[in-house]
Amino acid sequence: MTEKSENMPAPLSSSALFQEQVKRTFRSNKLTGLGAVIFLLVLLAAVFAPLLSTHDPLIQNILDRLEGPSAQFWMGTDAYGRDIYSRLLYGARISLTIGGVAILSAMVIGTAIGIIAGYYGGKVDDVIMQFNDILLAFPTLILGLIVVAMLGPSMQNMIIAISLTSIPGFARIARAPTIVVRERDFIEACRALGYRDWRIMVFHILPNVTSEVLVMASLWLATAIRTEASLSFIGLGVKPPAATWGGMIREGFENILDNPWLSIFPGLAILLVVFSLNLLGDGLRDAIDPKTRVD
Amino acid sequence: MHTMPNSIQSSESNPDIILDVRKLRTSFRIAGEWHAAVRDISFTLRRNETLALVGESGCGKSVTALSVLDLVPSQNGRIEAEQIQFNGRNLLGLSEDEMREIRGNRISMIFQEPMTALNPVLSVGHQVAEALLYHRDMNKEEANRAALELLDQVKIPSASSRFKEYPHQFSGGMRQRVMIAMALACRPDIILADEPTTALDVTIQSQILALLGELKRDTGMSLIFITHNLGVVASIADRVAVMYAGNIVEIADVDSLFAHPTHPYTEALMRSIPRSDRDTETLHSIPGQVPPISRMPDGCRFAARCDLARPICRKLDPALQQINAGSTHEVACWVRGDHDLTAIEDRANG
Repeated sequence: MTEKSENMPAPLSSSALFQEQVKRTFRSNKLTGLGAVIFLLVLLAAVFAPLLSTHDPLIQNILDRLEGPSAQFWMGTDAYGRDIYSRLLYGARISLTIGGVAILSAMVIGTAIGIIAGYYGGKVDDVIMQFNDILLAFPTLILGLIVVAMLGPSMQNMIIAISLTSIPGFARIARAPTIVVRERDFIEACRALGYRDWRIMVFHILPNVTSEVLVMASLWLATAIRTEASLSFIGLGVKPPAATWGGMIREGFENILDNPWLSIFPGLAILLVVFSLNLLGDGLRDAIDPKTRVD
Repeated sequence: MHTMPNSIQSSESNPDIILDVRKLRTSFRIAGEWHAAVRDISFTLRRNETLALVGESGCGKSVTALSVLDLVPSQNGRIEAEQIQFNGRNLLGLSEDEMREIRGNRISMIFQEPMTALNPVLSVGHQVAEALLYHRDMNKEEANRAALELLDQVKIPSASSRFKEYPHQFSGGMRQRVMIAMALACRPDIILADEPTTALDVTIQSQILALLGELKRDTGMSLIFITHNLGVVASIADRVAVMYAGNIVEIADVDSLFAHPTHPYTEALMRSIPRSDRDTETLHSIPGQVPPISRMPDGCRFAARCDLARPICRKLDPALQQINAGSTHEVACWVRGDHDLTAIEDRANG
């Protein structure tokens, strides 16, 4: 028996069923795979931006301003003579960091709120979900705008703003399966084993909720990146001269008739990321939704 | 006027008695009104004894088990009792924290549906180990090793290779073995088994019954076995309590009950068992149905379905009483019990 210790279970694995479904989805649905590959490439580009970039994204070179794409400047230069390609790479870092951190924290907080509301039900549920619905009633961009306008534009405040706008959605997504799982016999069995409420929520309900939450996280990451770009576009994002995609589009706007690539390249970058995340999220959603699942 | 059931008289500080429930009444709120699903029932459980609670659906068997563990939902459920004495300790006054120390540790429970009573997203080994991690001072490795031993003990073939598998990879019978391993993990004094074999097919059922019997013998634990199947009762129980509409109507040693079923309801239940050794044209069924919890009649609750019912049965509720002096066989029936009916009827009318 002791020599079997390598057969001991991994600590709290998440849903095996979900993993199985995800594998099946990637095999059967090429678009989901494409989305995953594109997003992964963008992620790698952001991580290795210092290696991949050809110029310093911040150094201005007035002599080379507004150049078209060339061997030296792959995507041309902006009005200050900065290399667009290098700025795009560094912009990916900011967009993905803000989007990623915001969605991650919203996912943790929103899921916790949703599980607590769903598990306890009754008045706790009523109060939490009423408040949640009020937040949900605001369009994401407007809510983000209000928060950033109040706190002032900075990376940290952008994260807070986008996170706040995403929390109610996660709470709603986590609450629904919690209400279903709460009534299942194994939760009663947990109570009969003397487990505390928090233990039941963390170790027994959460693993049953993660697949839904993760799917929505990939879709909402796209929304978060769009919101970040929109806020940067209207000048409420990370302060210049830092490169952000939304900020680059706005800067390009001033010369859009003569040098449209200034806005086109960052626009394409946003499109690519949002598109890849939507492909990925839709595929994953199909994988867990029995109504759209094709066996 | 009502004789005290002898099971209660004998239990005072008797170390042989592990569980002593007196006048347990569990009520539920339905449309704003409280209705008793279990009505003042009393029973005792001895060490290493199997007590079967028998009755049809909705008679209060499961509610009785849940009440012992204080697992009745608190918003709409209410547990009252004179005492629920476990190992010399009254569970009624215990705090939620103290109850959690009892649940799964000293008294554990097995559920009816092995398909839904295991968490589908956690490996079976993990689920057994978790109970140990929670109640015992063990590290993860010790808990995993003990869990593997438990899976071996409940006779799951090649347990070590199945340790990491998920419930959907197990058959119903194997899942029920996992449930038993979980319930057994902390070496409880009592296991409450709520229809553990109902969802299984007959061959698996007999294997599970044999396993439970074996484990009970090996560990010295006591078992409360809830079932509606009298055939199962005969093969596993030491003592039987027949429940009807929230009352215990007859309680006896298993041999005595099957030899002399006394309450008309018990008798009717016995007649409804299909038997291969007798030539019967039709299967007996009990006419009428259990009255709904919100409209329980006065008097004996079985009176409306009983061939022997007399006027007194519809007026006064009979208490459990020995069928003859010194017997451990008790019945709650005006007609079949040891009553001077004419005197009682005179008193009731006069």
